[in-house]
Amino acid sequence: MGVITKTVRAGLLATVCGVSLLAVSAPGAYATGMPQLDFANPLVTGQVMWGAIIFFIFYLVLSKAMLPGVARVLHDRSQRITGDLDVARSAKQDADKAVAELQQARKDAMAEAQAHLQKVLDEEHRAAEQQMQEINARLASEIAEAEKNVAAEKARALSALKEIAADTTQALVQRLTGVVPDAQLVARNVESASAQRSI
Amino acid sequence: MREEKSDSFDARLKSAERRYGLVKEEKPPVDAGIEADRSLAALAFRAGTEMLAGLIVGVGIGWGLDHWLHTRALFLVIFALLGGSAGVLNVWRLVRTMDVK
Amino acid sequence: MAGGSSINVLEQFELHPVLGGLGEALRFSQSPLYMIAAVCLVLAFLYFGMRPAAVVPGRLQAAAEVCYEFIHNMAVDTIGPEGAAFFPFIFTLFFFILAGNYIGLLPFSFTFTSHIAVTFAMAFMVFLLTVVVSLKVQGLRFFAHFMPDGASPFLAPLLIPIEILSFLSRPVSLSIRLFANMVAGHVMFDIFASFVIMLAGFGVVGDVFAIGPIAINVALMALELLVGVLQAYVFAILTCIYLREAVAH
Repeated sequence: MGVITKTVRAGLLATVCGVSLLAVSAPGAYATGMPQLDFANPLVTGQVMWGAIIFFIFYLVLSKAMLPGVARVLHDRSQRITGDLDVARSAKQDADKAVAELQQARKDAMAEAQAHLQKVLDEEHRAAEQQMQEINARLASEIAEAEKNVAAEKARALSALKEIAADTTQALVQRLTGVVPDAQLVARNVESASAQRSI
Repeated sequence: MREEKSDSFDARLKSAERRYGLVKEEKPPVDAGIEADRSLAALAFRAGTEMLAGLIVGVGIGWGLDHWLHTRALFLVIFALLGGSAGVLNVWRLVRTMDVK
Repeated sequence: MAGGSSINVLEQFELHPVLGGLGEALRFSQSPLYMIAAVCLVLAFLYFGMRPAAVVPGRLQAAAEVCYEFIHNMAVDTIGPEGAAFFPFIFTLFFFILAGNYIGLLPFSFTFTSHIAVTFAMAFMVFLLTVVVSLKVQGLRFFAHFMPDGASPFLAPLLIPIEILSFLSRPVSLSIRLFANMVAGHVMFDIFASFVIMLAGFGVVGDVFAIGPIAINVALMALELLVGVLQAYVFAILTCIYLREAVAH
């Protein structure tokens, strides 16, 4: 309701202003003889005829020659821009895809390398262990053999020692007593003495 | 860094597409109101011409009918009134479209 | 003084035959001459602007394209999809009026849009076009528009003539608006210019005070440049609005 009264009031105001403005100016203009209102003048009506002809020619030239030219240029440009933007967009997509592929490939390669490395390390580990075992075994056998040799040597040395001891004892007894002791007795004594000392 | 760059490329591509109207955007329809002359003086002038136009047409038709039918100012009076009403109608329409805007 | 200056003011609208007797016989005054000049100006602008037809436009070409797109958008946005068919007509109309308004701003020139005969002829042409298009598109339903919706049938004998007169007043108001704007602008130019001449008659003091009207005329020139394009725009967009109503089913 308020809008309508406002509208009506504005309309009335505008009408009053406009009409008074024109009522003041229009008869004044007519009274002073506006050349535009002198329709008896053939030149005034002549402009309508000439205007129609000129306007028609203007229209024909514009609609047949000028405006299609402008339209063609604008169309070409929009086509070109659309094409360029399409190219740009597809290039961007290609680039994005390439980047994604590259990243995937890198990831794959990394995973593969990791797996490979693990395998190599495992193999290496196993090989090292085996070698170690071999070495250990060889060492053990060598040690055993060496111990055996040492034991044999020792046994030999000990048996030689007995002989030497027996000989020494015999010689000592002979020097001390002047009699040649019974070799068997000496040997027995040495034996028992060495057993006592656990040589 | 690279991400940022590709973002800016995206934005530039988008803005270029928007600039050339490839991306369809909702555009408010241009309507009858002529924004350009909305000052009171311009409105008064427009209202005056609308009013005067109605009157001129009414008076013209009335005068022509009188002339043709050899009546004395009967049609002139009737059509002047009708023309004045038409002028008021014109003004009302003008002001209403301006107000709605 | 008053009489003399008012005659001076309106003198600029008087028509004189050009080319002597031939012009008189053909009713060829300076008005059609300026129409031709205006048309040639616009065509030259478009021709030289669009001659490079470059993908990246130069300044003149860009201006020509802006003009094209401005009118094209106006026609299509206002009328609708059918507006493309009327676009050359709107373009012609707009630039005929605009060039007429602007060429009249040059000193010593003539403004053919300040003649009611010219503006009314154009407005009547628009009016006829809208009627023809309306009848073609809507057929006899066109006449149904003269009966307002929801009005009581008793008021019909009163309302229908009013609606018809309102419809008929369109070309009149369209032509008067353009005509009155142009006349008012040029009359004001002349009034202030005559002040300058009057003041110049008073010697040094007058010369100093004459700066006032000259400054006003400079401001008026700016205003008239605005009014010139605005009135051409109003004429064109009202044509578009009328055509929209005509093509609406």
